[in-house]
Amino acid sequence: MTSKDPELDKLKTELEAAIEAIKEAQKKVADADLVTVCADLQDAPRIRASCKRILKGHINKVNGVHFSGDSRHCVSGSLDGKLIIWDTWTGNKTQIIPLRSAWVMATAFAPSGNFVASGGMDNQVTIHDLNNRDSSGQAKVIREISAFEGFLSCARFLDDSRLVTGSADMKIVLWDVQAGKNLGEFHGHEGDVVTLSVAGDGGHFVTGSVDRTAKLWDVREPGSAKQTFWGHQSDVNSVCFHPSGQAFATSSEDKTTRLFDLRADQQLAEYTPPSANSAFTSCGLSRSGRLVLAGSDDNTVHVWDTMKAQHVGNLAGHESRITSLSVADSGIGFCTTSWDTTVRVWV
Amino acid sequence: MAVVLPSMQMSNVQQQRVLVEQLRREAGIRRINVSIAVEDIKKYIVDHEQDDYLLVGFSSQKANPFREKSSCSVL
Repeated sequence: MTSKDPELDKLKTELEAAIEAIKEAQKKVADADLVTVCADLQDAPRIRASCKRILKGHINKVNGVHFSGDSRHCVSGSLDGKLIIWDTWTGNKTQIIPLRSAWVMATAFAPSGNFVASGGMDNQVTIHDLNNRDSSGQAKVIREISAFEGFLSCARFLDDSRLVTGSADMKIVLWDVQAGKNLGEFHGHEGDVVTLSVAGDGGHFVTGSVDRTAKLWDVREPGSAKQTFWGHQSDVNSVCFHPSGQAFATSSEDKTTRLFDLRADQQLAEYTPPSANSAFTSCGLSRSGRLVLAGSDDNTVHVWDTMKAQHVGNLAGHESRITSLSVADSGIGFCTTSWDTTVRVWV
Repeated sequence: MAVVLPSMQMSNVQQQRVLVEQLRREAGIRRINVSIAVEDIKKYIVDHEQDDYLLVGFSSQKANPFREKSSCSVL
């Protein structure tokens, strides 16, 4: 790229030098390979989970699902314009919440189980209080925030007051939803921010973007990212913290799922199925972190042994693309959602 | 590893400067060896494997809330 501006050319050189410096520093600590270090581990068994519940109720594509902190209830959001709160143990619907806009893309359950957040093409996030009803008997809307210039793609509660959102305007914002205040903005992604995952200790979160990177942020220090993770060749569709808090999994349009380590600041492993045909839309990790799960465009959930990078099975059942996956905190099982209008529970 | 930054096409000098400063900050963080990072993750996994239902299943079916409940007959 030629430029008539010498200052811009100088900056471009500095940019390339800074990226080189990061790559060099990462190479310096790459003293081992994950699979080799884990060669002494016993192989993980073939995946033993199966579909224990098919939750029917939505009448259009389901875009998102998220477990409550109780590892029993989950919330799903569908293009039919409804949120449904499910009791996964019984399969019953405990609440049905009609939304003002049918174009929901993001859903989140507060860990306490008291609130749910949703939003999408309405460029808004709406918070419903599950313990208080409005005059028509529906869960009460306690907050609507419309300060977005693009659709809402992802949201996660840190607690009953604080919510992090990611949107197509490339913004990441921390909100106090009870007070209706913007507590800080996190900038750096150069494309839609489509996924986010909060660390177990609530102090950090990672995001994934169509800019092909994942970034690590400190909740207490809005502004710039702490670290950027390169590797994926296309949109990072989903990120999920490893239960150890030291790593996170990602899955991508580039048909791979990967594991990145925070302290080594680099990719540790790449997971692909025997025939890598389809993009991955969603991911999760089992309670110990030994298994990584990814929902695919091929309608199945792929499972790998994270430490040996071996494919240990596919879970079939959904009749169309899987859009979202959520593992219960207790590790008891996980839910998936699909364009086939169902939510499935795998245990 | 290809690093594609669309902002390279931006003509905004100020934005480029901010980006360079940010990358320099990120370059300067302390990193640990991959061998140590992997050992630590491995230890976490081994310590928690027995709690991982998706890996080891349920210790007894009583612990599985999704199990088929036995039917009761009304006497």
